[in-house]
Amino acid sequence: MSLKIQIIVAIVLVLALASIINMVRKEALDIRFALSWLSVGIIVLIFDIFPSAMDWLVHLLGIELPVNMMFFFGFCFTLFLVFGLTTKVSRQAEQLKRLTQEMALLEKSLENAKEKEEQ
Amino acid sequence: MRKLVIIPAYNEQGGIVKTVRDVKAHAPEFDFIVINDCSTDRTLDICREHGFPVVNLPVNLGIGGGVQTGYVYAFRHGYDIAVQFDGDGQHNARYLNEMAEKLMEEQLDMVIGSRYIKKEGFQSSGLRRLGIRYFTWLIKLITGQKITDPTSGMRMANRDVIELYAKNYPKDYPEPESVVTILKKGKKVEEVPVQMNAREEGVSSISPKKSVYYMIKVTLAILIAALRR
Repeated sequence: MSLKIQIIVAIVLVLALASIINMVRKEALDIRFALSWLSVGIIVLIFDIFPSAMDWLVHLLGIELPVNMMFFFGFCFTLFLVFGLTTKVSRQAEQLKRLTQEMALLEKSLENAKEKEEQ
Repeated sequence: MRKLVIIPAYNEQGGIVKTVRDVKAHAPEFDFIVINDCSTDRTLDICREHGFPVVNLPVNLGIGGGVQTGYVYAFRHGYDIAVQFDGDGQHNARYLNEMAEKLMEEQLDMVIGSRYIKKEGFQSSGLRRLGIRYFTWLIKLITGQKITDPTSGMRMANRDVIELYAKNYPKDYPEPESVVTILKKGKKVEEVPVQMNAREEGVSSISPKKSVYYMIKVTLAILIAALRR
């Protein structure tokens, strides 16, 4: 990996990390969701600054090419994240359903109370 | 004994008045409530004009969430019996009293109106009947009980089942799965023969494209329901 590409990647990563933190600061992003992105950013940044760390890990795991390891872990991370989102969507669908039902039932009981008052 | 008819309605402007008239004429001891599932047509206006009691969902929840709203309403208002009754004119209210009598006399938890005991009236298309027969077979395999019309949306529940459904009810294509759920809990379910009508207004929620998804989803849901306690 050339020094030039290392520097470019580092700049992009730092900018990305900074913008994630800024979004959390402005409350545009929930910190719970930012955590996994921040940690993956930091890990990639470490590998970018210290390529020898990556070589060491690749050797340790018995993987032939560093790039294979990056693809493999990247794919695992994405799957993990997408599955996490799926469970969150399921839970939110249930919550939304309950809220909708409660709101409709509340409206109905308000109507009933108003009718009783008018009588 | 307080009895409630739950009428789920999504874009039923053409059938809702007829449905309510049918209920008023043939099941006058029943209260009724229309659950308007965020219809985009004039269903809500028509209900208000006629003074029908409506629970108006501000967001479309689909048939499961709509019907469940009815069960929550029934539970909170202390109803002893609640029956689902489609708002599109497919069901006939003249069977409601008979269903309620059977429920009480035989101390059942649920009574389903089945098209396939006497095989009279509208019988649905051939392919759909095949699908329904498959679910009958699957439910028999899992619970040991034969439900001839597991997709019937005409179902009467006692207080126990009202409470169960108020807490938990499938979101889409809920009928076969929710029957398995209560059978697994040891509830007593029986069927009575009814005639249904071909749909006059509105469209079926199960289009041909969706039917593959329907079969797979409901099969999986039944199998998972069998795993629950």
